[in-house]
Amino acid sequence: MLELEDNSAGALSVFIGNVRNRGRSGNVSEIYYESYSKMAEQKMREIENEAQTKWEIKKLVVFHRIGNIKVGEASIIIGVSSEHRNEAFEACKYVINNVKTRVPIWKKEISNESQKWAEGILLE
Amino acid sequence: MDKLKLKSDIQDNDKIKVKLFAILRERVGESEITITVPTGITVNYLNSEILKKYPQLKSLNNKFVTSVNWKVTAGDTIISSKDEIALLPPVSGG
Repeated sequence: MLELEDNSAGALSVFIGNVRNRGRSGNVSEIYYESYSKMAEQKMREIENEAQTKWEIKKLVVFHRIGNIKVGEASIIIGVSSEHRNEAFEACKYVINNVKTRVPIWKKEISNESQKWAEGILLE
Repeated sequence: MDKLKLKSDIQDNDKIKVKLFAILRERVGESEITITVPTGITVNYLNSEILKKYPQLKSLNNKFVTSVNWKVTAGDTIISSKDEIALLPPVSGG
């Protein structure tokens, strides 16, 4: 939160993505996340820069956890501060939607019975 | 007497390292493989050599893209061992 503080910002929007207990393959107890870190970081910066260009944003932070994450824990946190609320809401939505489709990160849904890589989206 | 080889008969080879992720890494059992190919090949040629060497990836053909130096790249791009190459299955972050 400290990283988002700005006295000229009247709005602070935070999105937290949690691991849920149901996936496409059934029950889930945890998710294993893997990334191509160098390319993922580049892509995240690209998306952040796009958001900065589209909206008047004061500050923007994105964290994506990698490795095994249990149900109920956060896998991604996005925070945006802006002068007014609309920019913060819109930028937050833009960043999560684009991280899901453009960043080389993969998840494997794990349960007591099985482990299955999630179906995803081919990068363009 | 040994027959002299013309320079054009000698084919230079390139050892190309390829990073694998997620389901591709698991199918092969390695996070990085090395493929020996003639110099000046394209992404498409490299991918066909990989599928020949690792037939366990054939069912995933068309279910991955190739990145060259951290950018998804067209099949006719010419590559060398100096490039960082990776095969990327469909992404599912967030």
